[in-house]
Formats: sequence, C-alpha cells, structure tokens
Amino acid sequence: MSYLVNLLASGLAVGAVYGLIAMSFAIIYKSTGLLNFAQGEMAMITAYVAWSISTSVDGNPFIVAAGSILFAIVFALAVERIAIRPMMNEPILSQIMVTIGLSVIFRSLVILVWDGLPHGMGIPAGDALVTLGDVRVRVAQIGVILFLFAAIVAMWAFFRYSRFGVAMRAVASDDGTAQLMGVNSGKVQMAAWGAAAVLSGVAGVLFAIGAELSPSLYALGLKAFPATILGGLDAIIGSAVGGLVVGITENLVGGYLSSGLKEVAGFVIIILILMIRPYGLFGEKRIERL
Amino acid sequence: MPDTAAQIAATLLELRNVQIVYDNAVEAVRDVSLSVPEGSVVALLGSNGAGKSTLLKAVTGSLHREEGEIEKGTIHYGGRDIGHARTEDIVRAGLILVPEGRRLFANLTVDENLTMGAHLKDTARMKFQRDAVFDLFPKLKDRRHQISGYLSGGEQQMVAVGRALMAEPRLLALDEPSLGLAPLIIDGIYDTIARMRRELNMTILLVEQNATQAMEIADYVYIMENGRVVLDGPAEKTRSNLDVQEYYLGFSGGGEHRKSFRDIKHYKRRKRWLS
Ligand SMILES: Nc1ncnc2c1ncn2[C@@H]1O[C@H](COP(=O)(O)OP(=O)(O)OP(=O)(O)O)[C@@H](O)[C@H]1O
Ligand SMILES: [Mg+2]
Repeated sequence: MSYLVNLLASGLAVGAVYGLIAMSFAIIYKSTGLLNFAQGEMAMITAYVAWSISTSVDGNPFIVAAGSILFAIVFALAVERIAIRPMMNEPILSQIMVTIGLSVIFRSLVILVWDGLPHGMGIPAGDALVTLGDVRVRVAQIGVILFLFAAIVAMWAFFRYSRFGVAMRAVASDDGTAQLMGVNSGKVQMAAWGAAAVLSGVAGVLFAIGAELSPSLYALGLKAFPATILGGLDAIIGSAVGGLVVGITENLVGGYLSSGLKEVAGFVIIILILMIRPYGLFGEKRIERL
Repeated sequence: MPDTAAQIAATLLELRNVQIVYDNAVEAVRDVSLSVPEGSVVALLGSNGAGKSTLLKAVTGSLHREEGEIEKGTIHYGGRDIGHARTEDIVRAGLILVPEGRRLFANLTVDENLTMGAHLKDTARMKFQRDAVFDLFPKLKDRRHQISGYLSGGEQQMVAVGRALMAEPRLLALDEPSLGLAPLIIDGIYDTIARMRRELNMTILLVEQNATQAMEIADYVYIMENGRVVLDGPAEKTRSNLDVQEYYLGFSGGGEHRKSFRDIKHYKRRKRWLS
C-alpha cells in the first residue's frame, strides 16, 4: 500500500511538471495558433540560470525563485520579439520550424555556457525530504504540485474574469475579428509567451531541484507535448490534467510492470485515448492551423 | 482638387480612385471614389462579388490579412490618410465595422462579446456603453450570460451591432446586416439603424444586397458591379431611376443590343431581388 502511495505521489509530482509545460504549449497554441517546440529547452535554460543564481546566493530559495521567474519572462519576450514576431504573418508551418531551430540552438547553448554534466541545484530548502504518513517526498515535489494547482486556478480566473484574458480567448476564437475590435495581436502573443515561460520555467527549476540538473532536461518538453495533445491542444486546464495522467501512468507502469516500459507507457495511453477522443480529453475544436 | 476646405471638413470618409488587388492578381475593386458626409447614411449596394466587402476591409485596414493591397488611390477618414493605418488605430479613431456574417466570438458569452467591442475603452466606460446597448436591445440583457454561438440569427445580429456600438463609433460600417435573417428581424435591424442615426447622430455606411430597404434609410446611394461604382446619387433620385437604369440591371453594350427573352427573365429576377 505504501509502495503504491509513494508511486502515486512521485507520479503526481512529475505529472505536475509535465502538466505545467503542457499548459505552456496550450497557452501559446490557443492564443496564436503556434506550437512552440522550444518550450522544454526554454524551461531547461531557466533551470540552468536558476542554478547559476543559486550558487551565487548560497541557495537562498526566494532569490532563486524571483530571479528565475524574472529571467524566464525576459528571455521569452526576447525570443518572441527577435525570432517569432517577424514571422507572425508567415505560414504557421514556417513559424513552427523556427521554434524547432531554436530548440536545437538552446540545447547547444546550455553545453556552451555551462557544461554537459549533471549537477545538484544546491538549494537545501528544496532538496529536503518530508515525510507525510507513508509518503516521503522532497519539498520541491510538493512545491511543483501546489504550483500546478495554483496555475490552474490562476489561468481559469484570468481567462474567465480579466478583460485581457477574454481578449485572448476572442483571439483564439477568431483573430481577424478580434483585430477589428482593436486587439493588438502582438501584445496577446507577448502575454502568451510570458505566461508560458513562467509556468514551464518554474516546472523546470523545481524538477531540477527534486531530481538533478542536466542537459537532458529539455526532454520534459517531449513528454509534455503529448500531454497537451491528450488534454486537448486548445484546452489549457485540460493539458494540466493530461500531464498528470502521463506522469502517474509512467510511474505506475515503471513501478509495477517494468522500468523499461516506463518511458513509453505515457505514449501508449495517449494513443489509446486519442483513438476514442481525437480532439483530446477536453479539446473543443479542430486542429486546423497546424 | 475641386473640393473646398469646407467640403473636406464635412466629409468623414473619402475614398478616391481606389484600386484593390488580392494576391497581386485578382482586381477586386477598380477606381472607386466614394464619400460619406458626417451625419449621413450612405448605402453601398451591389450583388455577389461586386467588391463591397473588399472596400470595407480596405477602410478598416484589414486587407493585408488576406493578401490584399490598395494598389492605387487614397482613403481619408476625418481628414487623415488611413490607407496604411493599423486596424487598432482606425478603431481608436471611431471607425467601426460590423463584419459580414456577424462573426461573433461563438464560444464567448453575450457579455464577453460586448466587452470585446469596448476593448480599447476603460472598464467604467465599457460598463456605461454596455448599459446603453442593453437599453437599445433589452433582449440581450436577458441573454447576457449565454454562449453567443447558440443564439438565434436575429439575436446574434443584435450582439454584432451592439458589440460595434460598444466602441462608440463615429462612423459605423455595416456589411450586409440583413444577411440570412427573416423579414421581421430585418425590419428590427433597420429600425435600430434609423434610431442610431436619429438619436446618436451616427454616420453610417451601409453595405447591402437588399437594396429596397437600404435605399429607404439612406441619404445617398452607390451601386457597384464588378469592382466599379456604376451608379451613384441621392437615394430619392436613384430609387425612381432604378428601373430604367439599364447597366445597373446587368445589360451590357449600347442601344442596338436587343433584349432577348433571357435578358427579360434576368430583368425580372433582378426586379424581384429589388422588392
Ligand atoms: N481573400 C480574397 N482573395 C482573393 N480574392 C478575393 C478575396 N476576397 C474576395 N475576393 C474576390 O474579390 C471580389 C470581390 O469580393 P467581395 O467579397 O468584396 O464582394 P462583395 O461585394 O462583398 O460580395 P458579397 O455580396 O457576396 O459579400 C470577388 O471576385 C472575390 O472573389
Ligand atoms: Mg461581401
């Protein structure tokens, strides 16, 4: 029983990481029709920057949190302005190619600026083990689960109650008409990239604290993207659920069947679900712009 | 330029010799000049593909979204050249379009659609305008929390017009507001247009295929065919002229052209379309 609960808890934690990055994919897709295949790499770079900050402030968690969130936003806005904005009126496929190109560049950048070795983040407050009944988890794992739920609530309220959030939904529904209302689609795109960077950046940092920092961190994006498809490409909260499903499935399969199957388990679930629900668990419209 | 300064001041929207192409190939509008005096209702009529919507896209700065381009000519609004202005700035200046086919944000509620109409206004102003729209369309107030995509066609058109009014238009352009609606609903829409003009002193550019009703409300009429203005004049005159205007009725060529049976049938078809 305790074995199962521990598997579920760590599945929930890694699922929350996938979920946050999956939400990032969905936020950008929903408001601009673009798939940012560099999302995982951007999360990885944020984690490396967090590490650099951590080593210079002796792992003070507050400074690391503030610094990495700030970096994630500035970095995303720079990428948006330099690489994505000029492509805004180009075919969506060319824009996706740009993000794939960026992902390769970012991966090399990590090796170039930092190194190729695994590291601990050096943040004792996040590393610490907590025992809750039968379950032993790290503070960072609890943190990422709480952050996911906070993000879900925040996104839900933002898109429902804030005027800018409503405008982003309007752009998602019909961007040409939204422009006729005076909506500036550049601003919408900036907001989407900024929000996505915060969610996936925090996910990357917390994952690195709970596990380790390494140049393979970008692969979180590869796990999160199918989770987005699972939840529904245009369903932001659905994507979070998709991430949790993938994370928990992986852990259960890895724990009870075989660790070799662990990596593919999530994908198998996704394929099965998509055969029944082609637009994902919570998707509402056709994927036309891909 | 023949215009005096006073005339320019009184003209809110002025198109001069405008030529528009799509994809560098399709000539959709050729050499169109048109002016909308402040406080007037101008109707722009014509059948399918005449180029009416294309003109409205040009006026709202949204041609580039469809690979369209103003090749020649100028568009002035409130004395300002808006031929290359961004839609956002045109909207801010009060030129608001109710697009063809309503184009509501289907999965947003009525309230949210209206809010979008006032996107460039602060929240206090938005709420004030929303109350004004609910006064004009009390039915929308009852439906305010419903998803707009599930409303009836007539209700959707009310939302589309209401959404445009949220922006406090100085010039309201309507692209075929009667499209696909039942006669009774159309009457309602036209009553509203008449009221907006009377009570809000709004300048209106009305694009229609439904010529009769549009002409009743308009001060001045332009008729387009194949990308050109083929006839224009005060609404009164044009109305009485209509039946004898051969080229408007689709006949080409000079006087020696004999009307065949097919032409007459064609004529009747057009007549019905006018009534
Ligand atoms: N995006 C586009 N790309 C290429 N050609 C276009 C495009 N939009 C319109 N056209 C062409 O331009 C011409 C004018 O079209 P427009 O939509 O302006 O006509 P309209 O007068 O509004 O007709 P309707 O009454 O049917 O709405 C048509 O020949 C049409 O095929
Ligand atoms: Mg049209």
